[in-house]
Amino acid sequence: MAPASDRPTVPLTASDLELLRKFEPVVSYTKGEQFFPIDVEHYINECSLWEHHRDGRDELLVNQGELTLEKLIESRPAEFGSIRYLRFIEPLSLAESAQVLADQLLLRRKLGDYFHAGIGRLARGGILPRLLDGLFSLSFLLRGKVSAATAAAAELDFNAMFAEDRKYTYYGRVTRQNGWTILQYWFFFCFNSWRSGFYGVNDHESDWEMVTVYLYEQDGQLIPEWVAYASHDFKGDDLRRRWDDHEELKIMEQSHPVIFSGAGSHASYFRRGEYQAEVNLPLPGWFSGLVHTWNKLWTETLGQPAINSFHIPFVDFARGDGLRIGPGESQTWSPVLMDESTAWASQYRGLWGLFARDPISGENAPAGPMYNRDGTPRASWYDPLGFAGLDKVPPPPKMLQMLADNCEKVSRRQAELEKLVPEKAGELQARGARLQGMEGNPHLARQFGALEKEINTLSAEVRNMRREVWENLALFQGLTRRLDRMKAGAQNDPRTHIRHLAEPDDSTQVLRFDRAAETWAAVSLSMLLFAIAALIFFAPRYIWAGLGIILILFVVAESFLRGAFVQTVGRITLILAMITTLILFFHFWKWIIVVVLVAMGISLMIQRLRELTG
Amino acid sequence: MRKRKKSDKKKSPIAVTVIAVAIVVLFLIRLVQVFEPLIRNQIFLNGITGPLFTGWKLTALGGVFLSSAAYLVLSLAGIVVLIGFLRLRRWSWVLLMAWTGVSLIISLVDYFYSRPNYAVMSSNVIIAFALNITEVQRIFGIRSDDGTSL
Repeated sequence: MAPASDRPTVPLTASDLELLRKFEPVVSYTKGEQFFPIDVEHYINECSLWEHHRDGRDELLVNQGELTLEKLIESRPAEFGSIRYLRFIEPLSLAESAQVLADQLLLRRKLGDYFHAGIGRLARGGILPRLLDGLFSLSFLLRGKVSAATAAAAELDFNAMFAEDRKYTYYGRVTRQNGWTILQYWFFFCFNSWRSGFYGVNDHESDWEMVTVYLYEQDGQLIPEWVAYASHDFKGDDLRRRWDDHEELKIMEQSHPVIFSGAGSHASYFRRGEYQAEVNLPLPGWFSGLVHTWNKLWTETLGQPAINSFHIPFVDFARGDGLRIGPGESQTWSPVLMDESTAWASQYRGLWGLFARDPISGENAPAGPMYNRDGTPRASWYDPLGFAGLDKVPPPPKMLQMLADNCEKVSRRQAELEKLVPEKAGELQARGARLQGMEGNPHLARQFGALEKEINTLSAEVRNMRREVWENLALFQGLTRRLDRMKAGAQNDPRTHIRHLAEPDDSTQVLRFDRAAETWAAVSLSMLLFAIAALIFFAPRYIWAGLGIILILFVVAESFLRGAFVQTVGRITLILAMITTLILFFHFWKWIIVVVLVAMGISLMIQRLRELTG
Repeated sequence: MRKRKKSDKKKSPIAVTVIAVAIVVLFLIRLVQVFEPLIRNQIFLNGITGPLFTGWKLTALGGVFLSSAAYLVLSLAGIVVLIGFLRLRRWSWVLLMAWTGVSLIISLVDYFYSRPNYAVMSSNVIIAFALNITEVQRIFGIRSDDGTSL
């Protein structure tokens, strides 16, 4: 198989750094992005090192300004259950918080790089997700979180740090597994400001993001085949795109994949756009069961489209209209090689930023590239193939050989079966004849039983072999067809492996009365609460009826703005009809059962009589 | 035997007939609900004998008038919907669904405030479920042939 002519190649003898530079990505950020990839050393020098003990105590290990990469990895025994973490921003007093927030405003004005959300995430979900979003926001009162002042201070510190040494860094790792040469590009950000800066799910100190390029070897050259980006809500096969999938994967200057980075979250996307990320609420088991039963009834029995209301929509803005870093751009990369011998990566297992004590971890800082938050090894590091679902995929040149081997194996087995099946079938007939000979001889009952068992076993064996013959035939056809296509240089669909494709929201799909819908999304929840308060105050006697009617009115108003009036009215009426049915059944169950039984009886009688009279 | 000529007319499913009958039944019940309190209060014999409002509040008589008026609107709307429905118009399906929804809300409020009318409730339930049948939705252009909502 000849290498694809449109693909870049690198000699097998190239150094790791040359390989990394050849395929280093172009990252396209969203306008208003506050943090860019920097080197870890600068960041560490600005941090203090802490230990969170099981009893809730936080112990300072190394002061801010004294920490270095060497000190970070010094051996310090720790008790079970303790958590080691860095702290980029020290606790701020009220006055300091006010000061940094004011300074942040000045900085933004100076940079002039503002972010505008446009159609907000709230307008993209219904009224129930909006209600849940309100509860999610309130949950931060109970959960640990990174404060707005911390985010502001981080932005100020990052800009000060960056002004001293303006360098965009990635950490490159080259590893080889199962015939693949794997290039990993790790990006370190000193803060994730998705929530505070871009109406997202969370904020946390420090952020590690990674993209991978997978190369195979042919005729002494390395050729790119797959590219995988780490992203929210996706895993395995869904993370990777084939090099020639130009609809999905943009390539600059023939060898540099383009990443559209999520504003604040820094998640990587193949296409520019606004992606709806969904946080599914953790529901108790019994409630999930109820929801599942309801959904089944709703979709299968009543034929309605499925609804998942127990999620909160968040938007990841990967517009790609901001700074671009990479080959051919105004800003370029400073690569640093990294592997298992890189001490700060392998020997520091703690968090790379504040441990915010958030039980669901969204606000706690992540660990380094090699580890998870709990200190266990990170799968994307030790199993980079499995991370993108490539552990089962051989490199293209190996694929040909493997397909040929498989064909041969199937042919061999087929030949074996063609010999075996007549043999076994003959044996089965012989035993059947013997069995017939035993019939009518009660004194042979024991032998008859034993032979009957043998025959049953043999019959099953023959049946299985015959099935295998047919299955192998189909398998062989599939394998040879694939082999022939590969030999002819034809590629299959580059997206057959993808189960869930990350797709940006359709920018042409606008809400009806755009501005009104957005305004409604912003104020509807508060208006609902005001209406309920008014109801309690003015008409407490009609509280339940009033509550139901208010909710229905809000849902109908919402559906009108979304252009879904017909479906919504249908759904509401159906739900009301179901409630009414339950009430009617409660009062008239005896009558209902009698009517159903009589109707069934009449129907059966008509059928039988029709059968009788021909 | 002579072959019967195929009719070009769209054949309506039995559910459409069931719905039409249910609308008529509802119309008649609603008419009773319009006139029964007026007759009980001898409005037709004696005319309006007292005030309908005291300040901003409705009197008992005002309440009777208001509920009769509401039921009258509902019953008349039912007739309009019925005409459109028999002509298999899309708007009539939407209007009938909305009308049934409103009627169900009123029935449920009545039920929870100890004034249940089970005949109305049953008719509404039959209409709501019948309107949801895929075949009916297809005929009225609410759902496409592949089952997706239009």
